[in-house]
Amino acid sequence: MTWIAALAAPGMVQPSPAIAEVRIFACEPEWAALASDIGGDAVHVYAATHGRQDPHYIRARPSLIAQVRRADVLFCSGAGLEEGWLPVLLQRGARATIQPHQPGHLMASAHVRLLDPPSRVDRSLGHVHAEGNPHVQLLPANIGFLATELARRLTVIDPDNAETYRRRLSAFQDRWKDATAGWTGRTSQLEGMPVVAYHEAWTYLFAWTGIEQVAAIERLPGVPPTASHLQEVLELARTAGARAILRAPYEPSEGMEWLSDKAGIPIVELPFTVGGLEGVDDLFDLFDVTLTLLETVRDRH
Amino acid sequence: MPSLHGLTRLALLAAPIFLIAPEVHSQTNDAPTAAELAAEIKALKQDYETRIQNLEAQLEAITTQSAAPATPATGARGQSSAFNPAIGVILNAAVADFSAAPQEVSGFQLGHESQRGQEGLSLIETEFNFSANIDDKFFGSSTIGIHAEEDGSEAIELEEAYIQTLPGAGLPDGLRVKAGRAFWTLGYLNEHHPHADDFVDRPLPYRVFIDKSYNDNGLELAYVFPSEMYAEAGAGLFRGDDFPFGSSDTGRGVTSAYARLGNDIGTNQSFRVGAYVLNGSATPRSIAHGHGSSDAHGEEGHDDEEVHDDEDDADHDEEERIDTDVHDDDHDDEPEMAGDEEQEGHHDLLAEGVFTGDTTLYALDVRYTWAPTGNPRDQEVTLQGEYFWRAEDGVYSDDEGEMTAVDGTSSGWYLQGTYKFNPAWRIGFRYSRLNPLSSADMANHVYEVEHDPSTVSLMGDWTNSEFGRVRLQFSREALTSEVTDDQLYLQYIMSLGAHGAHTY
Repeated sequence: MTWIAALAAPGMVQPSPAIAEVRIFACEPEWAALASDIGGDAVHVYAATHGRQDPHYIRARPSLIAQVRRADVLFCSGAGLEEGWLPVLLQRGARATIQPHQPGHLMASAHVRLLDPPSRVDRSLGHVHAEGNPHVQLLPANIGFLATELARRLTVIDPDNAETYRRRLSAFQDRWKDATAGWTGRTSQLEGMPVVAYHEAWTYLFAWTGIEQVAAIERLPGVPPTASHLQEVLELARTAGARAILRAPYEPSEGMEWLSDKAGIPIVELPFTVGGLEGVDDLFDLFDVTLTLLETVRDRH
Repeated sequence: MPSLHGLTRLALLAAPIFLIAPEVHSQTNDAPTAAELAAEIKALKQDYETRIQNLEAQLEAITTQSAAPATPATGARGQSSAFNPAIGVILNAAVADFSAAPQEVSGFQLGHESQRGQEGLSLIETEFNFSANIDDKFFGSSTIGIHAEEDGSEAIELEEAYIQTLPGAGLPDGLRVKAGRAFWTLGYLNEHHPHADDFVDRPLPYRVFIDKSYNDNGLELAYVFPSEMYAEAGAGLFRGDDFPFGSSDTGRGVTSAYARLGNDIGTNQSFRVGAYVLNGSATPRSIAHGHGSSDAHGEEGHDDEEVHDDEDDADHDEEERIDTDVHDDDHDDEPEMAGDEEQEGHHDLLAEGVFTGDTTLYALDVRYTWAPTGNPRDQEVTLQGEYFWRAEDGVYSDDEGEMTAVDGTSSGWYLQGTYKFNPAWRIGFRYSRLNPLSSADMANHVYEVEHDPSTVSLMGDWTNSEFGRVRLQFSREALTSEVTDDQLYLQYIMSLGAHGAHTY
């Protein structure tokens, strides 16, 4: 089969030079940020989505196929979050070392305990992820586990830089442990606060902070709300005394605005991931800003 | 702990704390007391630190063992098919209203599948797909479609039955091989199943040049280059029984080649362009249902796809088709086909005859998408166009003994745009046009086709979820110079079961 490659070489813009960097293809910005933290200058990180994109619905664009084709590590949420596009990229990009069961194939959901696995999967229940909620990034402990797992994979793939990865992991974990202790202290003040969300996007954040989601604006996961469903959400929000409507940057605002108006509670946009809001440039910012915004909700009268 | 089945060793380490966590913060009313919560948080923190230490110890072990096996555990989860094989069904039906009787297309011979659909209520197509990874090296898929025929019958077609190499099967990176029967790489639409189309029917060039789709038996190699910009090239070898070819002598008479480029423009726009060629011969061109040598629409029984290898069968089919047209003339609102012939002094041999000879089909395609917010599910503009150019060298003949040698080119193109203005609603526009062979291309300059067939279509559709869509479409077809056919469709396309991710 080498004749194909031989034919290919002359026409190429750059016959790829010996790449010193490990190329990491991150499906979501939070994993891109973590990869930069752990890999430093030894890696080249490509983020397939930006902070204001909904990772459920991305087109398998040609540019993404080209990136997957050259990736050494694939770092994604998994658990079905990218099922609408990642399989096409893996098949078309046809890069052997990032296929499932390879060291270069890292799915965050495979390394943390998934919350809310559904007891039943039926499309009449909406877009349900069979394995559990895939939005695992908003629990600091999960980030810590993935940092270590990524470093482990990188040392296997790029043993020459093993020392770099070990050192950077160690430095990151020290900072992360301290930061986590501070954040966890702040969560006790948020425990029990009732809120309304659009989608089941905050399950891990709520499990950690004790914030209580009293209703979801989406009728079912992936299915937009109807007027009658919004009415029910309004009742639930009133009864429970919901303090705010939490919104991820990519979520539609139509139903929220109506609800906000009727219930007299604010819509609070949380970053959800790195780059979700202005000034959220890394994972530390992500948790700092998220908690600060939630504290604002709590303190509001 | 059945729910932990399949988790990695790492996750097992984490299990104890996370088994507790969801209970503590469940959305029920029995909320934990502050003391309980504090204890949990403390436990969480302690466990977290223990785990990090464990992991760091593991890491240490790995880095010191140079000969460590390069197979860290990756959870077996996250794979697409929970069932083996994955089964999917597409339900595609419509109610249609037409202002005129079925028309031939001036200057073009139609294959069986590209005739107009049924008027009234009809099941356009029901597709059954079975697919799965066969083993660590191959993926397999088969699709069986049941189509409504224009005459009211139904035909079963084996649309696809192929195997494909899996990445990591031992081929060089970027290379894949597909063999069997498939919607091969040709232009934009051909490799997509019709349920993914933006309009009820395929545009005119697809109908006249490849009888809606080219899914001959064969094999195809494709290679994606390791370049910054997306670049792919491929080549194929096919049997040569499917329109625009037919009755292959050798059973491997058709070759293809293609190249594609694509990239993003900024963060929210992207495009792909491609060039394709398909070359082979017909003895004669297959216009019967399905694949050249199969007869799936005989009057007696249409639901068993018998495989014959003699040419007489294809000819026989053709006779039936022409007979049916003659009978149709008895309908009240039928435009006089015979009248056309009298006016022009002959019938349209290119449309009604059968072609024998060599065909080379060239195609160019372009697709551009723009999602203003980066989220194509919320708002998106798509523009798509394809240009087909067909060189024919051979003979058109009919069963009345009329014939003409041809050596020339015909062409066709379409341009379409869709605009999704909110997650549920889209509108779209499409214009298709054909340029038939001219009299200069015919040996004895029999006649000039003085009409360029064209179609204008407008559609609006409503998408309830990614699995269900309802569409309203209006088309005005001017396939001959005499008749304009106004067509109104109300269609639904729903999918159940497994549904693979769509390509760009």
